[in-house]
Amino acid sequence: MQVKLTRFFLTLALGLAGISAWAQMGVKGTVSDSYGPMVGVSIIEKGTSNGTTTDLDGNFTITVSDNATLVISSIGYATQEVAAAPQLTIFMKEDSEFLEETVVVGYGVQKKKLVTGSTVQVKGDDLAAMNTVSALGALQSQTPGVNITVNNGQPGEGFKVNIRGLGTTGDSEPLYVIDGVAGGDINSLNPSDIETIDVLKDAASAAIYGARAANGVILVTTKQGKEGKMQVSYDMYYGWQNLYKRPATLTAQETMAMADEKAFQDGNPAINWEGRLGAKTWKRLQEGWKGTDWVEAILVPNAPTQNHALNIAGGTEISKFSGGFSYTDQNGILGKPVASHYNRYTARLNSDHVLLRSGDRDVIKVGENLTFYYSTKTGIGQLMRDYNDIRNAITASALLPMYDDEGNLYDRKDKEADGWVYASNEANPVLVMKSAHGNNLSRNYGITATAYTEIMPWSWLKYRGAFSYRMTAGSSRSLTVPYHAAGNTGSDAYKVDQSASLGHRISWENTLLFTMPKQGKHSFDALLGQSFEKTAVGERMSVSNSAPDGSQLPTMQGDMAHAWITNTANSLTATEIGGSPWPEWALLSFFGRANYNYADRYMATVILRADGSSNFARGHRWGFFPSVSAGWVVSEEAFMEKTRDWLSFLKVRFSWGQNGNQSISNFQYLSPVAFDPSHTYNFGNTILNTTATKPVGAYATNLANPDVTWETSEQFDLGVDTRFLRSRLSLTADYYVKYTRDWLVPAPVLATAGTGAPYVNGGDVRNEGVELSLGWNDHVNQDFHYGMNVNFSYNKNIVTRIANDEGILHGDAEVLDHGGSEFYRAQEGFPIGYFWGYKTAGVFQNQQEIDEWIAAGNGVAQTDPQPGDLKIVDYHKDGVIDDSDKTMIGNPHPDFRLGVSANFGWRGLDASVTLNGAFGHQIVYGYRSSTTDAFDHWTGEGTSNRFPRVGTGATGGKSVTDTVLENGDFLRIQNLSLGYDLKHLIKKLPFQQLRLYVSAQNLYTFTKYPGLDPEVGFGGNNLYGGGNSWVSGIDLGSYPLARTYLVGLNFKF
Amino acid sequence: MKTTKYIIAATLAVLGLNACEKLLDTENYTASNTANFPASFEEAEMMVTAIYSNMNHMSSRPSAGTFYFVSELASDDRFGGSGGQSFDKLLVTGETAFDFSWAQYYKGIYLANSAIEGLKLMENDVDDREKYEQLLGESYFMRAYNYYEMGTLFGRVPLLTSTTQDSNSPQVEPDVLFGQIASDLKQAIDLMSNKPWNAYVEFGHATKWAAEALMARAFLFYTGFFQKDSMPLAEGGSVTKQEVISWIDDCVNNSGHDLVGDYRNLWTYTNKYTVDDYPYTAGVKGVDGQPLLWAGNGNKEEVFSVKYMNYCGYYYPGQEGYSNFYIPFFGFAGTNGTGNTFPWGNGNGVGTVNSGLWEDWNREEPGDLRIRASILSIEEEVPDYDSGDISGQWEDCGYWAKKTLPVLAKAAYERQGSWVSSIFWAAYPEFDQANNYGITNWGGHFQDLILIRFADVLLMQSELKEDASGMNRVRARAGLQPVGYSLEALQRERRHELCFEGVRWNDIRRWHIAEQALSGQNNRAMNNAGADVVLRDGRYAERYKATEGFFPIPASQIRLSAGVLQQNAGWKEGDNYLYTVWNFD
Repeated sequence: MQVKLTRFFLTLALGLAGISAWAQMGVKGTVSDSYGPMVGVSIIEKGTSNGTTTDLDGNFTITVSDNATLVISSIGYATQEVAAAPQLTIFMKEDSEFLEETVVVGYGVQKKKLVTGSTVQVKGDDLAAMNTVSALGALQSQTPGVNITVNNGQPGEGFKVNIRGLGTTGDSEPLYVIDGVAGGDINSLNPSDIETIDVLKDAASAAIYGARAANGVILVTTKQGKEGKMQVSYDMYYGWQNLYKRPATLTAQETMAMADEKAFQDGNPAINWEGRLGAKTWKRLQEGWKGTDWVEAILVPNAPTQNHALNIAGGTEISKFSGGFSYTDQNGILGKPVASHYNRYTARLNSDHVLLRSGDRDVIKVGENLTFYYSTKTGIGQLMRDYNDIRNAITASALLPMYDDEGNLYDRKDKEADGWVYASNEANPVLVMKSAHGNNLSRNYGITATAYTEIMPWSWLKYRGAFSYRMTAGSSRSLTVPYHAAGNTGSDAYKVDQSASLGHRISWENTLLFTMPKQGKHSFDALLGQSFEKTAVGERMSVSNSAPDGSQLPTMQGDMAHAWITNTANSLTATEIGGSPWPEWALLSFFGRANYNYADRYMATVILRADGSSNFARGHRWGFFPSVSAGWVVSEEAFMEKTRDWLSFLKVRFSWGQNGNQSISNFQYLSPVAFDPSHTYNFGNTILNTTATKPVGAYATNLANPDVTWETSEQFDLGVDTRFLRSRLSLTADYYVKYTRDWLVPAPVLATAGTGAPYVNGGDVRNEGVELSLGWNDHVNQDFHYGMNVNFSYNKNIVTRIANDEGILHGDAEVLDHGGSEFYRAQEGFPIGYFWGYKTAGVFQNQQEIDEWIAAGNGVAQTDPQPGDLKIVDYHKDGVIDDSDKTMIGNPHPDFRLGVSANFGWRGLDASVTLNGAFGHQIVYGYRSSTTDAFDHWTGEGTSNRFPRVGTGATGGKSVTDTVLENGDFLRIQNLSLGYDLKHLIKKLPFQQLRLYVSAQNLYTFTKYPGLDPEVGFGGNNLYGGGNSWVSGIDLGSYPLARTYLVGLNFKF
Repeated sequence: MKTTKYIIAATLAVLGLNACEKLLDTENYTASNTANFPASFEEAEMMVTAIYSNMNHMSSRPSAGTFYFVSELASDDRFGGSGGQSFDKLLVTGETAFDFSWAQYYKGIYLANSAIEGLKLMENDVDDREKYEQLLGESYFMRAYNYYEMGTLFGRVPLLTSTTQDSNSPQVEPDVLFGQIASDLKQAIDLMSNKPWNAYVEFGHATKWAAEALMARAFLFYTGFFQKDSMPLAEGGSVTKQEVISWIDDCVNNSGHDLVGDYRNLWTYTNKYTVDDYPYTAGVKGVDGQPLLWAGNGNKEEVFSVKYMNYCGYYYPGQEGYSNFYIPFFGFAGTNGTGNTFPWGNGNGVGTVNSGLWEDWNREEPGDLRIRASILSIEEEVPDYDSGDISGQWEDCGYWAKKTLPVLAKAAYERQGSWVSSIFWAAYPEFDQANNYGITNWGGHFQDLILIRFADVLLMQSELKEDASGMNRVRARAGLQPVGYSLEALQRERRHELCFEGVRWNDIRRWHIAEQALSGQNNRAMNNAGADVVLRDGRYAERYKATEGFFPIPASQIRLSAGVLQQNAGWKEGDNYLYTVWNFD
C-alpha cells in the first residue's frame, strides 16, 4: 500500500513536471509456435498505436510504458495478452476459432464442430464481394453440390437451383428460410443484407423442415444488431455491361448463298433475287450493302448497372439493432429500343431487446425482423420459340431492311411497296419487339415482419415463440401497339393488359429448447416445436382490352406511360376480365430434435417431424419424416496425438433421413370442374361476337386421384471434415446417395380418358454423388495473406421408376421447330430430361458408302439417299429408321461442377478471382443455321462428316439428331476484383475503411460451345408459354450474360 | 377415476386432431368438382355447351389429323398441295400424325358422357321438360357425331359411354360402334323438339333434323362400306332401311330446311363486300332471278355446322379454333393473295384441286353452273397467279376450290391497308380483329363449316329410296334438267353438288369405287414449286388396298395401352407408310 501510494504521488509529481522518460521500459522477446520462431507476429501496446512485428528469427524489441500490456497476435493463432517485462518468451497456440464457429441448422444454431449433417455456410461478406444483383449469383461458385444455373441473363431473371441433383419432375427448388420464415424470396434481399447463408444438403440436416425439405433447404440469416460502437457502412458500385459474345449471324450475301445452294441441291430453278427482294433492295445489295445486322441493331452498349447499400448496426447488451437500405439498378444489354431493365429497393430493420436479465442470462427477450422490398422489371420476349426477340434477332434474314426511306421501321406495307416477296412471313424483329413484346412493366412489393420472444426461466430451458406475417403484392401492365410486320405477324389494335395481385401469409411457431447441464462428459439438448403456416385468401385481378386502331381514346398513345385500360375503353368488344383468389394453403407441423455428444468427440442427432398439408385429402395429409446422424471427431482421440502436428482436426460423419415434398397444386384429389371462356360456343348467327355474350362451357379439367400424397426423398450421406497444417488447409468430402420416390407427376393417361391426367405418385429417381471442398488460407506475415478454395462436385442422375406402362414421361413437342417431335423425356434408366433422338454416324461421302451401308443391313431415312445425306444410325438394324431407333443422344446434366476462388491481401491491397464451370453435359444449339456455323455442312466428298448437305430431304425428315447437340463444358472467370483500402495509406481518414475497387464479371469463358452462352438453365417453353421445369440445356437463343466492368467503393465508419 | 382421466385425455386428443384437420381443410372458390357438379339445370346446360366447344378446339389444328381436312385430301378431288401430301397418298409424315385428333375426339366424347350423366342427375329437378329432353338429345347426338367421324377415320376404336369406364378399353368391332351410333341417334331423334329447325333452338345446336340426317349418313356408310342390310342397335334389334327412310322423309318434309335460291349464294365469294367487284359474280342474276348474294351463316340450307366467332387466340389451348382455321390452310401459298389474285387470298397452299374433276365434270355435265361456282381455273380467272420458286406451291394443277379459298374484299383493304389481311370479314363495321390472333388473314374467318347441308339430305333421300325426286330438286336449283334415278347418276350428282365439303371420301369408300377413283389422280400434270412434273404413280390403289381407307391409331396410344389397342392394317411395321419426300415423278 505504501509503495503504491508513493508511486502514485511520484507519478503525479513527475507527470506534472512533464518528465516521463523513466517510466518507459524496453522489452525484448521471442515468439515461436510448435514449429519454431514465427515471423511477422504483431506486438502492440494495448490501448495505443505503438507496435512492432517479429523479425525472421521471431525476435522483437519494443519500448513501452512499464505497466503496459502487450497484445500479441497473428492471424491463425489465438491472440495473447501479456504484461510487459524486459524479457519475454511467447509461445503461440493455433487458433481453433473455426471450431467454435456456429452454423445455422434450422430452429437454432450449432457449433460447426458438432454438426453431424452435411451443411455449407457462406458468409454474407463473401457474397457481397461478388457484386451480384442476386445472392444466388454469388453463391454459384462457393457451394459444392448446390447447382445454380442462370435461367437467362435478362435483368431480374432468376436462377435454377437444385441441391444434389434433380430429384423430381415437379417442383425441384429448395426451400428458402429467411430469418426463420419459410418460403421467402431470396431475390428480394440485397446481398449486403445477408449475414450468412447456410445450405442444408443432406436429408438429416434438412429433416427438421420435413414436408418441404426434399430438395434441400437454404437458410438465410440477415444481419443482426451488434453490441458496441455503432457501425455504419456504405457500399456502392457502378458498372458498364456489354455483350460478351455475339453470334456470327449471316450477312445478306451469305444468306443468299445458302438459299442458292439449297435451291440448287433441290433441283429448283435459281432464285430470281431481284424479283424476290424488289429492285430497291437489290440495288442496295449491288452497292455493297451487307444486309441488316439485327443483333447489332438491338445492342445496348455500356448498359449501366449500379448498387448502393447502407448498413447501420449498433446497440448495447440490452438493446441491439441493425438496419439496411439498398438500391439496385440494372439495365439490359439487348433489346434496344425498348430494352430490359430491373431495379430494386430494399429496407430492413432487425432489433432485439432484453426485458429481464438475471446475471448473464436474458430471461425475457423480444425482437423483430422487418424487411421490405420493391422491384420493377421490364423485359423483352424470350424463352419461347416464337415469342423470343433474341432468337428473332439472330434468325431474322439480313436481307430485310430495318428502316424504310422515311426512317420508319420496315413493315409489311414497305415490303409490298418495294416488291419484297422473298419468304413472305419474314418480319422485322425490331418492329415486333418494339410494338408487341417489349412494352411491359411489372412491379413487386413484399413485406415480411416477424416478432418473437424468447423466455429463459432457467438456464436449461428456453422458449421461443415467433409470429410472422408476409405480404406480397404485384402489378403489371403491358401494351401492344398496332403494327404489321408481315402477313402473319401483326396487330390492328392497341391491346392493354393490366393486372394486380395481393397475397398474405402467416406463420406461427413455438419451440422449447432444453439444454441439460453437463453430466461429466455427456452433453444433451433437445428441441420440441410446433408450427402452423397458412396463406390467407389472396386476390388477383386482371383486365385486358383491345381497341382497334381508330377506336381508342385520344389519350391512348403508343407508349407505356399511356398504357392504361381506360384509354382503350371506347371499345369493349375484346375485353377479358379475371378476378380470382390465390389458392388457400396451410401446413401444420410438429417436430423435435435431440442432440447428444460425449466429450465433443462422439455425437448423434435424431430428428422427427410430422407435417399435415392442405394439398391432400383427409387421410393422406400427414407425413412423418425421421432422420438420424452421427459424428466422430477422430482427432480428439488419444491415439491421434502423434498426428496432431499436421492434422488439426478430423471428423467423420454419417447421416440418413427422409424428407418430403408437398409442393403440388391443391385439389388434385378431386376432379375440378372449370367454367371459363375456353369452352364457349357461338350459338346463333351473330358472327362477330366475343365470349362476352356467349355461354360459357363447364368441363372437368382433369381426373381425380384421391390417393395423391407426398414425394419422399431418402438420403444417405457419409462425410469427412478435416483441417491440416495449423488449420491452414481444410478438406471436406461427402459421398451421398439420394432416392426421391413417388414424384407427383401427371400420369400419362390414355387419350381415351377424355380429360387431363390426374397427378399420381409415379416416379423415382436416384442421385448419387461426391463433393469435395478444398481450402488453403495462410498469412505469410502481418501484411500478406492469401487463400484459395476449390469446390468440386460430381452427380449422377438416373430415373429408376415411372409408373406407367411405357416408363416414360414425355416432353413437349414443337419446342425446337414447328411440327418438331418430342425430343426430351424422363425415362427409366436415363437421366431426367435427357435428349432423345437419332444418333448419326456421319455423312454419306459417296455412292459406295451408301451401298455399303445398306448392304450391311442398315436402314436409311432418306427415300432416295444420295451423297451428302445424313447417316442415321439404325439402332435395331431392322432396315427401317423409325422412332424405335431413337435413343439417348445427350444429357443436359453436367457430370462435374467446379468452383474456384482465390484471394490475396497485401497491406491495403486485395485481389480475388472466382471461376466456375460445368463439364460433361450437352446443349441443344438451336440457331446454328442462322450463323456462319451453317457453312460447316457437306459440299462434296470429304468436306464434312457431321452436317449433311443443305438440300431438302438430306436428313430424311429426321430433325432431332445428335447433330443439333454440342458439348457444353465450360469454365468461366466469373469475377476478378482488385481493391485498395485508402485507410492504409492515409491513416488519418475518419473512417475504419475506405476501399476502392475495380471488378470484372464474366470476363472470359473457356468453352467450345459455339452458341452465345454455355450456361443454359432454360429448357424451352411450349407454344402456350408453359413448359417443364425438369428440362434444361435447350438454347433457342436466350438472353446472354453480360460482361461487366465495375468500380466500387466501401466505406465503413 | 383413472379411467375417467384417460377418457378425458382421449377425447381431448381426438378433438385436437379434428381441429388440426379442420385447419388443413381448404375450399376451391372458383371451380366446382365432379363430386358436387352439376348442382342445377343451368350448370348441366353449361356442360352441353362445352361439348360443342370441342368442335372449335378440333378446328385449331386442321392438319393434325382432323376429319374434314383428311377427308378432303384423301379423296380423289383434291391433291395434298403444299403440306397435305401425306394424307393425299394415304401416308403419314410421322407416327404422331393423328395424336391430336384422336385425343380431341375423346375429349368431345368425355364431355358428352359427362353431360348425359349430369343431365340424368338433374332429371327430377327439371321444370322445363322439353328443354331437358332437347339438351339430353343434343348430348346423344354429339356423342354419335364424334363416333361417326372416328369410326370412319379409324375403323375400330374403343367405345366409351360413361365417364367412369376404364379408359384402357379395347377397340370394338364396327357392328358395336355403329350400333352405339344408331342407338344414340335414335334417342336423339326421339328426345329432341319437333319444331322447325329455327323455331326452338338457336342455330348451332343439334336438332332432331340433324340427327335424322346423320342417321341416314351413318346408315349409308355402315351398310355400304360393310355391305350390310341394316344397322344394329346397341340395346338389341336394328335400324332398318325403312326406318331411315321415314326419318329422312320427316327431315325433308318437317324440318323447315330448304335449298337457298342459288347455289353460289352458299359460298362466301358472293358476300356483299366482294360480289360486285368479282367479275365472275358482278351483275349476275341467280337461278332464282335475284342478284347473287351470300345467304350467310346459319342459313336455311345448313342442317348442322361448326360455328366460329371473334375469339381466336393463344390464351387457351385450342383457342385458335374459334376461327375457321381450315380456310387459311386451303388458301394460295407463296406471294399470291396480295391483290394480284383478287378476290382470292393467301394461305398454306393445301388441297389443290385434281384437274381430273374439272375434266370429268365438263364432260359429264358441260352446262353445270356449279363447275365454275366450285372450281377456280387459274388460267381463266387469275392470270397474275405466281407459282413461286422458294416457298412455292406444290401439286398445283391450276385448279382451286372456291368453296374454301379465303375471300378478299376491297372495303376490307381500305380498312386494313394491306391485301394480305383483307379477307372480307374485315369489311364488316363491327369486325374487331383484336381477339383474332391479332392477324386477320389467320384469325378472321367466321364462315360456318357446314357438316350437313340440306342438299345432302335430299340426295341421301334419293339414294335410300332409289327415286330421283330429291336429286332433281337439287339439279333444278343448279339450273339443270331432271334425270331418272340410277346409282351412277346419283354418284355423279353427289360428287358435283357436294364437292370439297368433306363427304366425297366416305362416299367413294362406301360405294367401293375408291381404288379406281383414287387412281384417277395418277398421270396428272402439275407444278411443284416452279417445276413442271407429272405425278406418275401415287400408289393410291396399293395404299387403299392395304388400309381400306382407315388411318393409323396413334402409336403412343398403342404403347400406353400395353397391348390393348391394336394397330390398323396397312400401318404396321414394314408397311412403308411414311411420307418423306415427293418422289412420284
